[in-house]
Amino acid sequence: MGVASQRRRFLRKLKSSLPWYPFIFINIVVFVVFNFVPWISMLQISFQETDLLSFRKFVGLGNYLALFQDKLLGVALSNTFLYALMYVPPTAAFSLFVAILVNRKIFGAHIFRAAYFLPNITSISVICLVFLRFLSPRPDAPANYLLGLLGIPPQRFLVSVEQALPSLARLGLWESFGYYMLIWLAGLQGIPSELYDAALVDGASGWRLHRYVTIPLLRPTAAFILVVSTIGALQVFGSIYIMTGGGPVYATTTVVYYIYQQAFILGKFGFSSTISILLFLIILAITYLQGRYLRFGEEVY
Amino acid sequence: METARARGRLRSSGKARPEWRTARLSLRVGQALERAAVYSFLLAVAASTVGPFLIMVSVSLTHNIRFITFPIKLIPNPVTLENFQTLFSKTMALRWLWNSFFVASVSTLGGVVTSTMAGYAFARGQFWGRSLIFTLFLGILMMPSTALIVPQFVVLSRLHLVNTYAALIGPWFASIFGTFLMRQQYLGIPRDYDDAAIVDGANLWQVYYKVLLPQLKPAMATLAVLRFMGNWNDFLYPLVVTSKANMRTLTVGLGTVARSGGDAGLDMAGAVVGFLPTFFLFLLAQRYLIQGITLTGLKG
Repeated sequence: MGVASQRRRFLRKLKSSLPWYPFIFINIVVFVVFNFVPWISMLQISFQETDLLSFRKFVGLGNYLALFQDKLLGVALSNTFLYALMYVPPTAAFSLFVAILVNRKIFGAHIFRAAYFLPNITSISVICLVFLRFLSPRPDAPANYLLGLLGIPPQRFLVSVEQALPSLARLGLWESFGYYMLIWLAGLQGIPSELYDAALVDGASGWRLHRYVTIPLLRPTAAFILVVSTIGALQVFGSIYIMTGGGPVYATTTVVYYIYQQAFILGKFGFSSTISILLFLIILAITYLQGRYLRFGEEVY
Repeated sequence: METARARGRLRSSGKARPEWRTARLSLRVGQALERAAVYSFLLAVAASTVGPFLIMVSVSLTHNIRFITFPIKLIPNPVTLENFQTLFSKTMALRWLWNSFFVASVSTLGGVVTSTMAGYAFARGQFWGRSLIFTLFLGILMMPSTALIVPQFVVLSRLHLVNTYAALIGPWFASIFGTFLMRQQYLGIPRDYDDAAIVDGANLWQVYYKVLLPQLKPAMATLAVLRFMGNWNDFLYPLVVTSKANMRTLTVGLGTVARSGGDAGLDMAGAVVGFLPTFFLFLLAQRYLIQGITLTGLKG
C-alpha cells in the first residue's frame, strides 16, 4: 500500500517535471560543454605536461610546484596587482566625481553622459588602433604634442619600461569610467531627496553635503564598483595583447597574458591550466575579502 | 528657481543679515563661476572621449597619411575614400566584418531566445534539480571567464571545433545573466495569466509563446543590445578559438594587425569600420542599453 502510493507520487512528480526540461535543455548543453567539461579538463591537465598534439606526460604536482619557482609568474603577478592599484582607485574616484557633476540639473547632461559612455561601447581593438598612434613616442604625435603645450617634454609611453603599465592603466580608466559613472548615477538617484533637504536645513552645503549624505549612502554602490572593477583589472588582456605584447621586457606581462603566452605561444597547456586555477583562486579570495570588508549587498538605510 | 533655492538656504540657515542683497549678489556670482568651472571640466572630459574618434574618422578620410601628427586639420583636403577602398580590396576586413555580423547576430538571437525559455522554467516550473541547477548557474555567473579560456580551447580542439562558427557562437547561445534577468521579469507577471490560459487548454509552450513572451519585449530588447555589443567587442575568447585569418571576427582581426604599424589612413579606416556598428546600435538603442546597465550593473 505505502509502496504503491509512493510510486504514484513519484510518477506524478515525474509527469509534472518532464515538460519543463526542454525549456532549459540548451542552457544545460552550453553549460556542460563550455563550463563543466572545461573545469574537469582544467583540473586534469594541470597534472600533465602536454602540448595537446605530440606528447602527454603525467607530472603529478610538478606544475603546482613550478608555480613557486617560475620567476616570470612572480613578475606577472606583481604587474597584475600594480595594474589593479593604478586602475581601480582612480577609476572609481574619477567616475564618482563626474557622476556627481552630471547628476545636477545642467543643460545637456544626457549628451555629456552619452559622450562619456562612447569609449565603453567601442571595441578594445578600435581603441588600441587609435591610441597606438596617439601614444607614439614621436614629439609631434597627439599625446606628446598636447603635453608639450603644457611644457612637458615628450614621453615614451608604451615603449618605456616604466611608463607602459601606467599608460595602459590610464587607457583603462579612459575606456571604462563612463560605465562606472552610470552605475554611480543609478546609486545617486536612489538617494531620497528628503535626506538632502534635511542636511540643508542643518546647514550643510556644497561638498559637505556630499561628504555627509552622498558618500555614506553610496556604500553599496561603491562596494559593487570596487568588486567589479577589481575583477576586471585582474583579468586585463586585450590592450596588452594588442598594444605591448607583454613588453617592453615583460613590463606589461600580466597573469592572463602569461596564461595566453604559456598555452598558445609556447604550447605548455598543463602549466597554463595550473596558472588558470591560481588566477581563479586569487580572484575568488579578493572578491570574498572585498565583499566582507565592504559589506557588499547590505542596505544602509 | 536657483535664486529661490539660494534664498531658502540663507533663510533656513538663520543668517539673514542686513547685507542680504549683497550676499545674494555674491552668491549669484559665485554660482555662475562654479557653473562655468563645472562646464569647462565636463567639456574637457567630453573632448577627451569624443576627440580621438573624430580624429580617427578624419584620418581615415585623408589621402596618403603615414603618421597622425598634431596640429591636425579635422576636415581633410581633399576628402577621399581611397583608404576604405584599399581596406576592402586588399585586406581581409570585409570577411571579418561578415564573420562579426554573422556571429553576433546568431549569438544574440540564440542567447535571447534560450534566456526567455530557461527564465520561464525557473520562474514557473516545479521540476527535479531546479534549485541545484539554479545554484550552479549562479556560481558560473560569479566565475572569472578568463580562468577557463585554456581548457575551453582544449575541449574545443578535442571536438575538432577550433576555427568554426560553432565555437565562436557556442558559449553565447545561452546566457546565465539573461536567464536571471528574464526570470525576474516573469516573476513580475501575475500567475493568473498562466492559469487562465491553461484553463482554456493551452500547454506550457503556448503559455510561454503566446501569453508571456509578448510582455517581455522591453527586457528582450535590453538583453539583445547588451549581448550584441558584448559579442561584437569580445576579444580573448574569439582570439583563442580561431587561428585561421579567414575565421577571425573583426575585433580580433583588427587587434592582430594593429601593431604592424603601416599606413595610418588604412589603420584608421579599419578602426572606423570596427567602430560604426556598435556606435549606430548605441545611438538607436541608447535607452535600452543604459536601462540594462543601471538595472543590473552588468554587461552581457
